Amino acid sequence: MTKLGARLCCYGVAASTAIRDRTAYAGNFSASMLTYGLFVFIFSRVWSGAYESQSTIAGYTRSMVVWYFIIAEITSFGFGRYFWNLARDVKSGQVAYLLARPYDFVGYHYAERVGGSFVDAAIILAEGLAIGLLLAGPLPAAVEGGSLMAGFGRAGLLALSLVLAGSLNFYLQFALALTAFWLEENDALYWIFQKFALIVGTLIPIEFLPEQAARAALWTPFPYLSYAPARIFVAFSWAEAGSLLARQAIWVVLAMLLARFVFALGSRRVALNGG
Amino acid sequence: MEGVQRPGRLRAYARFLGLAFAVNVKSVLEYRVNFLVQFFGMMLNNAAFAAFWAVIIGRAGAVGGYGFTDVMFVWGLVSTSFGLAHVLAGNVRMLGKIVMEGGLDVYLLQPKDVMVNLLASRTVVSAWGDFVYGFIVLALLPGTDLARLALFCALALPGALIFAATFAAAESLAFFMGNAQAIASALSEFMLSFSLYPEGVFGKGYRWIMYSLVPSAFVAFVPLRIYRAMDWRFVPLLWAIALVYAALSYALFQAGLKRYESGNRVDTRI
Amino acid sequence: MAAIVADRLSKAFTLRIRPKGRFSTLRGLFRPERRIVQAVKGASFSVNEGEVVAFLGPNGAGKSTTIKMLTGILQPSGGTASVLGLDPSRDRKRLAWSIGSVFGQKSQLWFHLPPADSFRLLGAIYELEPALLASRSGALIERFNIGELMDVPVRKLSLGQRIRCEIAASLLHAPKLLFLDEPTIGLDVVARKEIRALIEELNKSDGVTVFLTSHDMGDIEKICKRAIIIHHGEVVVDESMKALKHRALARKYLGVRYAKPVDMDLPGLLPIKRTELSARYEVDTNEHSLAAVVKALASRGELEDITIEDEPLENVIATIYASRSGAEASLFGEREARHD
Repeated sequence: MTKLGARLCCYGVAASTAIRDRTAYAGNFSASMLTYGLFVFIFSRVWSGAYESQSTIAGYTRSMVVWYFIIAEITSFGFGRYFWNLARDVKSGQVAYLLARPYDFVGYHYAERVGGSFVDAAIILAEGLAIGLLLAGPLPAAVEGGSLMAGFGRAGLLALSLVLAGSLNFYLQFALALTAFWLEENDALYWIFQKFALIVGTLIPIEFLPEQAARAALWTPFPYLSYAPARIFVAFSWAEAGSLLARQAIWVVLAMLLARFVFALGSRRVALNGG
Repeated sequence: MEGVQRPGRLRAYARFLGLAFAVNVKSVLEYRVNFLVQFFGMMLNNAAFAAFWAVIIGRAGAVGGYGFTDVMFVWGLVSTSFGLAHVLAGNVRMLGKIVMEGGLDVYLLQPKDVMVNLLASRTVVSAWGDFVYGFIVLALLPGTDLARLALFCALALPGALIFAATFAAAESLAFFMGNAQAIASALSEFMLSFSLYPEGVFGKGYRWIMYSLVPSAFVAFVPLRIYRAMDWRFVPLLWAIALVYAALSYALFQAGLKRYESGNRVDTRI
Repeated sequence: MAAIVADRLSKAFTLRIRPKGRFSTLRGLFRPERRIVQAVKGASFSVNEGEVVAFLGPNGAGKSTTIKMLTGILQPSGGTASVLGLDPSRDRKRLAWSIGSVFGQKSQLWFHLPPADSFRLLGAIYELEPALLASRSGALIERFNIGELMDVPVRKLSLGQRIRCEIAASLLHAPKLLFLDEPTIGLDVVARKEIRALIEELNKSDGVTVFLTSHDMGDIEKICKRAIIIHHGEVVVDESMKALKHRALARKYLGVRYAKPVDMDLPGLLPIKRTELSARYEVDTNEHSLAAVVKALASRGELEDITIEDEPLENVIATIYASRSGAEASLFGEREARHD
């Protein structure tokens, strides 16, 4: 096997092991499925309250905005909370052992953690679709009519956008978690990150924000964690989907470079000072 | 002198709890930077939701009968009660895990009530931010005066007790079930989530749950009504309800303690 | 007077078994499979006031479970215990005033704070008047030589230092009975010696009864007068250290080295190890007289060296531990006892 082949194989095994580990015991999902269901339920009620006196807000109907929320939350529930495990491994010195392994640390963790998340994300997505049909009615129509092509395009690009969002989430949380090399307690960084992600595109579509804030938000990575896939789902058009996906991809690359940079600094620190 | 009911028990307990609290605080202040970061981090968290509500209510007017002031009051009150519960009884959400891992041993070896001793042995750093947040909100709300501040405090205390009692009861399920973590965290999550959103958005069909098993009503809906009317008459009733929840929670913990297995219970996969 | 009396004490745990196969999680919800595990099956023994007793047994024998029942942590599922005249399962809080305990890994000191803070909090927990607390902790700090450690956060102490503080903390309320579960685990030779000396002194000067578990034979040989061995949940040996050592004395290891090769097989006794010039024998003195063996070996040729060693106590205990059931271990004990 070539070196690259061997490495890809290693990542593949890592990902599939993580997937099998998750599916081994279905009880693991119940907690996050329950919380997700609860949130979707509460927000569908809140939106019902908000739409009592009007039928559209910032171009969204009630049905659209509930569907929006269902998809937008998939990144946080499906492509989970990587931060905690990683930060704990750094603080406990576990990472110092892992450094000695003969693989690319960032790549391996990406494969293992994001790979394992596919199961979570798929389950949450299925749950979301079921609850959505129950609470918000049929899927919102695509902007460009209901052709079969647009239907498949929407599903495919949604999946792609979710994977990009998950990857972006991973790399950003990875970079945040590895600040544990310097900060004994770095949880607060994660919360701040999480809250921005929540406000900018998860709880509400960014169109709801005041115009200036919405425009500024587009230049941060947050909309590409949840707004992009949700927008592609509730208001599908080829042009907008293409633009959103391109911007997501750019942010994934930037975040990956950031993660690698933080990791390089941090691991040098371990090498100098010991775990 | 052993074993005899000593004089001044209450005073001894007060001294013990006071010192436990002081030690907690000192322990937290060992990491001053972390304390400040978490403190402000939590405020930011709450501010994020305030922003969410500002946007929604700005777009839609009232939601479920709550205007922006109502939402802010409820957030402030819930935040302060929830924070106070975790400031004073910081182990309340760790209880199940402690039971599972046999961590009660240390408390069982000491001549103090296990549940009180356990709960008081930790303070949650971020909760301090929550606790203070309510007062900041109150200060920013129009029309706040000393009477309203007093009422706010009189509502927050039973709220904290109900939060602690409900969480502790949910966590105490760990005594009875193999893995109660999922149920316990779901119950806690329901309790907090329901209390943060307008009562009016929930249909009548399931609102009864919030007045019983998941008592969000008594930490949010009812206090809001009392506060709007500035009517002190119902405050003692709220206190009585809080004491009932505390008593039930304590009884559940005591029943569970008899079944405590000190970390010897192992879930095996065979 | 007896400090501890355990009477047919037993404890069963229910083990939940996760079913496997299809829909296992669902089935587990409705019909969980259970298995009862008897951790302790009717252990009876007693410890007198002022004794230092070693409570031994291999991992999983029921040692910790028994100690937890004696201290009121666990409710026994059968039998009774009486500790300092109290029933730990009903009078836990009353008992707590007069017992102290150090549980190897479970610390009662606050990890992030200096021991001084924990001492003050423990003072409040045991309701010691500030003046009394000051004099008690002063004496303990001197005796345990931890004055310099009192203001250092516990997380920065070495294990040996931490255990010294841990034991001192457990003595603040002047308990009459001290439970020590693996107090020297993970310590280096010097620290272990210090801890042993302290325990011995506590017993001698203050008359504290000590109930100690350890895997370290050194601890046991040095400080304990009696050993209770529990295995498969049953007490299989309960005798003085002297008697236990005597079992060891019945077996000798004899090594010889000759100047020239000779026939080293004796009638009824073959070497357990041999080279061309030397051999090693395991002599059961109940079967062979040691003097006769030495004489016979001397008569085979010119001896350059001869060594005679006792069987280490560790081997005796290992043999007991290795038995597959409580009954077998007891049998072994009886057979050994008959040899005495």
